[in-house]
Amino acid sequence: MTYVGGIDVGAAFTKVVLLLETNILASSLMPSGGHYQATAEKVMAEAMSKASLSFDDIACVVATGYGASKVPFASQQVTDVSCQARGIYHLFPSVRTIIDIGGQSSKVIKVDDRGGVVNFVVSEKCAAGSGRFLQVIARVLGIDINDIGPLSLKAQKSAEFSTSCAVFAESEAISRIAEGTPKEEILAGVHKAMAAKIFSLVNRLGMESNCALTGGGAKDTGLVKSVALALGAEISVPMEPQTTAALGAALLAKEKRKRNV
Amino acid sequence: MYVAGLDIGSTMTKVVIMDEEKILTSIIGPTGAEHRRLANRVMEDALSRANLSFDDITYVVATGYGRVNVPFADGQITEISCHARGVSSIFPTARTVIDIGGQDCKGIKLSGGKVVDFVMNDKCAAGTGRFLEVIAEALQVPLGEMGELSMKAKVKVKISNTCTVFAEQEVVSHLAEGASIADIVAGLHDAIAGRIHNMVERIGVESDVVVTGGGAKNIGLIRALEGKIGKSVLVPPEPLLTGALGAALLSRERAEKGRKEGSLPERERRLGEVTFFT
Repeated sequence: MTYVGGIDVGAAFTKVVLLLETNILASSLMPSGGHYQATAEKVMAEAMSKASLSFDDIACVVATGYGASKVPFASQQVTDVSCQARGIYHLFPSVRTIIDIGGQSSKVIKVDDRGGVVNFVVSEKCAAGSGRFLQVIARVLGIDINDIGPLSLKAQKSAEFSTSCAVFAESEAISRIAEGTPKEEILAGVHKAMAAKIFSLVNRLGMESNCALTGGGAKDTGLVKSVALALGAEISVPMEPQTTAALGAALLAKEKRKRNV
Repeated sequence: MYVAGLDIGSTMTKVVIMDEEKILTSIIGPTGAEHRRLANRVMEDALSRANLSFDDITYVVATGYGRVNVPFADGQITEISCHARGVSSIFPTARTVIDIGGQDCKGIKLSGGKVVDFVMNDKCAAGTGRFLEVIAEALQVPLGEMGELSMKAKVKVKISNTCTVFAEQEVVSHLAEGASIADIVAGLHDAIAGRIHNMVERIGVESDVVVTGGGAKNIGLIRALEGKIGKSVLVPPEPLLTGALGAALLSRERAEKGRKEGSLPERERRLGEVTFFT
């Protein structure tokens, strides 16, 4: 019986998953902030305390994500694409298309029937398809980012945005507020604009069922609905969509450990 | 005979009033959110400066983003045509016009004063005046001082993000790392200039190159653009006014033609509420 860990240092959040064999013992996350190493150590400590483990108990840690190189206690770094594919394969073996909507980028990953990465595409040049867009709009609407989903689902119709640029959409949102458009319609419009952006990203690889949505964006039920509508497909969302890459990293840590033993 | 050109941009509204020979007055005022419904004030101000009443104006051409919403205009002409006309009247040798507006950026190719091709970005804030505005705010530097400030730079801080949202964040982290504001602004101008140049390259950049719009008032951006293009560019004395000037000149042509043909509009003008963006 081996304890292993996976840590995903993302642009917005750092996540840790601890496993005993393939069972999740604990997961933890907090904002990455400006000091990745300190945050990594904090999130790891929190997860270990949840699982009542100490560092000496953990046989291997794999790090992934934007700040993977800033994790001193990791024995290996693996790309977030591979970890995401591995994590989703563990949860939903039938998924062939993974859409990850992160804090500063979005990705589409095609996986085979063994969880291997077939192809992937990343959009990180533009805030429009990322969680950052939601943050910008939440700020102008004066609402909590976690309230976006439920609120947007109340919309009877959606406000139209003329571009998907987050900067232009921000000013358009301000104009809509001034004109008295309900917040939920503005949010529904933002979801539609983001879903269109995601749709074109998916189309660059070709959509294959089944489909899963991960990352912070997957916590926004309104966005999930809009993406499903744009793709014309059902979408599986993990219970904890932000920690799937960390889960994948932990699973890879376990496999690595097996090989070494 | 008096004519007017009205250019309603996303950020600024400009009016030029002319007689047969010369510009009588010109005025620039904000289109901004709270001024939207009051943009006709800019027209009223221009009229009062020229000591004219609205009835003295024979013909009005509206152009720009908000041109379709001007009830008192006798004609609407695209800003591409108006910029081309306005720039050609100031610089007859112009072959390429780069207009850096508040929310868009255009490249226009001219031949004998006529538009032969154009390219435009109004989908993404990067490469438009908006990018500068957002970053100026993050740096707490007045927009009008960005140009002069960047001329003091010792090095250009490389800005690797294209997206305005991400670049804003990048700028903040450069500040935190101790980079000087002048060096950061110089890097930003270089980044925008690169983006604008890439866009205009799609139609080919031929001399003479004229830069207009609010962006042309930024000397740092002009120098950065010259660096990318590899030759010097021309800037009109009032780069914001070329669209309205072109509209006024086209207005005059139409009025003269109309007078000859006896087909001038004789409807009652209404300087009432001008509605935009509804």
